[in-house]
Amino acid sequence: MSRVAPLFGPLLFRPLRRDRLRFALTVAGIAVGVATMAAILLANASVLASFSATVDVVAGKAGLTVLADGPGIPEETLERLSWLRARGVTVVPAVVATAAVQGGDGDVVEVLGIDPVTDPSVRDYRFNSRSDVEETTLGRLFAVFQRDSVLVPAPLAERLGLTEGSELGVFAGGAARRLRVAGILRLEGAARAAAGSVVFADIATAQELFAREGFLDRIDLVLPEGLNDADRAALEESVRDSLPPGVTVGRPERRTATVDRMVRSFRVNLTALGLIALLVGTYFVYSTLSISVLRRRTDIGTVRALGASSRSVFLVFLAEGAALGVLGSLLGLVLGAGMAKAALAAVGGTATDFYLTQAAPSLALEPRALLTAFLTGLVTSILSALAPALEAAHVDPASTFRHGSVEASRRRAVKPLAIAGALLLLLAALATRPGPVGGLPLFGFAAVFLVVAGVSLLAPLAVTTVARRADRLAVRLLGVEARIARANLTGSLSRTAVAVAALSMGISMMVAVAVMVGSFRATVVDWVSQTLKADLFVAPEGGRSQRALGRLPEEVVTLLERVPGVASVDPFLSFEATRDGAPFTVGSGRFALVAAHGDLPMADGSDTRTVLARALSRGEAVVSEPYAVKFGVRTGDLVTLPAVDGPVTLRVAGVYRDYSNDRGTVTIDRSLFRRLFRMDGAVSLALRLEPAVSPEEGRRRILAATEGRFALRVQTNASLRDAALALFDRTFAVTYALEAVAIAVAVLGVFSTLLALVLERRREIGLLRVLGASAVRVSRAVRYEAAALSALGIALGVFAGAAMGWILIHVVNKQSFGWTIRTDVPWAFLAGALPSSSSRPSRPPAAPPASPPQPTPPPS
Amino acid sequence: MGASVVVENVRKAWSATSEAGEGAVSEALAGVSFSLEPGDFVALLGPSGCGKSTLLNLLGALDRPTSGRILVDGHDLALLSDAGRDLYRRRTAATVFQFFNLLPTMTSLENVALPLLLDDVPPAEADERAAAALGEVGLPEKAGAFPWQLSGGQMQRVAVARALVVRPALLLADEPTGNLDSRSGARVLDLVSDLVAGRGVTIVLATHSNEAAARATRVLRLRDGLLEA
Ligand SMILES: Nc1ncnc2c1ncn2[C@@H]1O[C@H](COP(=O)(O)OP(=O)(O)O)[C@@H](O)[C@H]1O
Ligand SMILES: [Mg+2]
Repeated sequence: MSRVAPLFGPLLFRPLRRDRLRFALTVAGIAVGVATMAAILLANASVLASFSATVDVVAGKAGLTVLADGPGIPEETLERLSWLRARGVTVVPAVVATAAVQGGDGDVVEVLGIDPVTDPSVRDYRFNSRSDVEETTLGRLFAVFQRDSVLVPAPLAERLGLTEGSELGVFAGGAARRLRVAGILRLEGAARAAAGSVVFADIATAQELFAREGFLDRIDLVLPEGLNDADRAALEESVRDSLPPGVTVGRPERRTATVDRMVRSFRVNLTALGLIALLVGTYFVYSTLSISVLRRRTDIGTVRALGASSRSVFLVFLAEGAALGVLGSLLGLVLGAGMAKAALAAVGGTATDFYLTQAAPSLALEPRALLTAFLTGLVTSILSALAPALEAAHVDPASTFRHGSVEASRRRAVKPLAIAGALLLLLAALATRPGPVGGLPLFGFAAVFLVVAGVSLLAPLAVTTVARRADRLAVRLLGVEARIARANLTGSLSRTAVAVAALSMGISMMVAVAVMVGSFRATVVDWVSQTLKADLFVAPEGGRSQRALGRLPEEVVTLLERVPGVASVDPFLSFEATRDGAPFTVGSGRFALVAAHGDLPMADGSDTRTVLARALSRGEAVVSEPYAVKFGVRTGDLVTLPAVDGPVTLRVAGVYRDYSNDRGTVTIDRSLFRRLFRMDGAVSLALRLEPAVSPEEGRRRILAATEGRFALRVQTNASLRDAALALFDRTFAVTYALEAVAIAVAVLGVFSTLLALVLERRREIGLLRVLGASAVRVSRAVRYEAAALSALGIALGVFAGAAMGWILIHVVNKQSFGWTIRTDVPWAFLAGALPSSSSRPSRPPAAPPASPPQPTPPPS
Repeated sequence: MGASVVVENVRKAWSATSEAGEGAVSEALAGVSFSLEPGDFVALLGPSGCGKSTLLNLLGALDRPTSGRILVDGHDLALLSDAGRDLYRRRTAATVFQFFNLLPTMTSLENVALPLLLDDVPPAEADERAAAALGEVGLPEKAGAFPWQLSGGQMQRVAVARALVVRPALLLADEPTGNLDSRSGARVLDLVSDLVAGRGVTIVLATHSNEAAARATRVLRLRDGLLEA
């Protein structure tokens, strides 16, 4: 090390001070990449952490937990488990549901319905004692619990302005309810569930609130002390044997694994985007360092002549890469945490709508996520410093500056690189063929990266070819400046080609995501217009939370049917189940109505009316496309559902399109559903009105008919469509923000490269001036060079982006979510977003690598 | 035809180099006067640091004198606009340096064609004339070669071709053989004296080689910024 240290001054620190702007840009470039990755990892970790924290808190001291893998746990289950008492096991039932707070900022609270007698043996409750005297929890709990009263954790009470004895207004199960605050809890033990957004009620109160009479959501089992693993396993087995169908037992933490699976494809998708952003950062390190090496060539030669070994020179430059990596990555972590926080706030609602019924999770700075992002940034920085460091190491002692010879060796590499690039593109095409690996579209991601890498390797060839082909014409049209620009482009190929590649990466990301999201949106708009045909949609009121929480009682269905002017009511009713550990939805509707209106487009284009009519008459199911893709189910196959009297197996009559639920849904007719699952009411209802009744009039009549008894959200067709698309746009807002930053950085990178190259060429520029070129012409040449760089980068980027967009749509999305998306290029957006017209490519982007399979239009 | 050059009491001072101390002024040229007839071939001799390059840069309108006048064909260089100076460099005064004469990113042909293109000669004609000039310096087969594929002597011959191709009235050569072995140097000097001087171009050749000086028709000696009589 003693031999390296003296080199840091002349080779690193001095030049660094000279080039502050470029180094700042480099650090920023790495930072953005790392930030993107950190943000994604942190956001996911936070969602998961907050969920698993709640799982832990709610599970308390339970050694085993009984959960429903179906509509719910029938209360009779408690009797079936009564033998456990004799074995020293405490059996603790509970109901868990979500309610919306009336007024406020759209708070939602988890309502935990508990049995005050048994619950303290599994969960801790600490009262905010008025008289500084700790009262025994058990006595207090029992004493305070009356009908319609709740215990509220202190921070929540403070936020909502509640005190003991005051009333908490909530919307639950489609009714506005007032609950008496019977006590304030300290933020300890069970009160920490859902980050303190939880209230505790008596089981009966909770059941009644959510129309869940006769059902429980969990039964926690507190096992006797000193049970060994074998005893415990045996006990678990016996419990399993005494459970009714559709009810399972296991360790409490298994729910976290399910949620982890749910968010996994979401996470992997975003992480891939983050990695692409990091590639742009990698380019920065490479370009900055290689320009540094170029600029310090004579200095390197001098220190070599003075006896510095080539190894120590190599180490100096590698250290520079590492230093940039450390700085950029640290900055990236800070930025990433900020971005994750913003993302959680922005998408919190969405992510939880999709995956969890829980308030937006707070940011958790999970060390593993931070470390992963940091190390990825550092390692890529060091890797991208390798080539420039090697170049530095090979500078001869006292070498005279001979620019060309260095570039000459580069030029010889153009062809092999291009061939390698073409091979990578070929591999990319092949990688689109295999199916998912463990439910993840790993080959699809590989294909995306292969396209990025392949196109990057083609960049030098593109630069030299275009330069050679366009030279004569450009000189004739634009004058000698074009030749100077061309000479600079090919003369510094190692720098310019990399700048082109980096720009094309940025552009391709933008194009790919724009094509993907644009296509997705167009498909969803289409689908929404095909499926949302009813006049009015009714759901439980969710207050400001804008969320439909819980289930409406059956009474609402019959009430709505009797409202004058309502022609038909189609109630949707569902619950969550699992298949092979992966969650899916069991749903129901009135097949007769769907068959009559045909508003459920089938994936294979077959006639909805025929399929639904047959399913209705034969008691068959239809499954959503995500379900079909995820579980490899086709029309004619069998699916098993966890009915109350034991599993039932139904034949699949058809596969329908669905973009609202990526878990997948098995849908059966309502009467069959009620028979199999003994569940009634509705999660939401679609109403058709008689022709004479306007949607507004219908809405007024419904609200009038239910006033005072139910709190319903009644939306017209138009407003629901708007809300659906608003949700869609909100989901992708963060994606767009990330893209915008990455592209801004890529463009900055290109300009910093140009800037550096102009500095580098002072002598050439001087010579040009000697030959009589005016300053104006010299700067025009630089602008032509910039334009050529941008045009090439954009052209390559659009080509790569089109291919990546195709892969994202037809491979990645299809495999991770099971969605068939029609390719729809958002021309207007792309035209607006691609940089200024002078550098815009004159041709539209190349067609995707293969013609995308067009989904057949659904019957109208 | 060559240019007539009149240099009147030209001074060039550099302000405040760090060694000389703040505010100190060092004079590279301390009042130089001479005149040249069209077709003169002048060798400018003197030790390193005596001000040869400074003088050539002034003659080439690459720099401005601190005081004094330079007239080329009767026109005062100081009165030229920026555009006029560019034009003067393109058409009237061609320069050949010791080092770094060619743009490393262009082929020989492109290097030679460059001043023509800068002067808005149509590309086809520019290439034709550039090829002819390369032929004259004996390098027709190197048209497509890049500078780093040429020897130092070849590079200087390409530079001479580039200086010739614009048919200048004045050739300013700053130690063109200083970095060459004697054979290559002689070859370049041959070209300068035969080809260029043969056309009546006025030549100022800065050098400290006596062999180079021997080819000149006149010799000027500079010492410490002053001409020796
Ligand atoms: N750009 C400059 N700034 C300051 N001093 C300069 C500059 N160029 C030349 N000089 C000084 O002017 C003097 C003459 O230099 P120059 O004309 O290059 O000499 P020659 O070409 O005869 O070797 C030297 O003392 C040199 O240090
Ligand atoms: Mg000199």
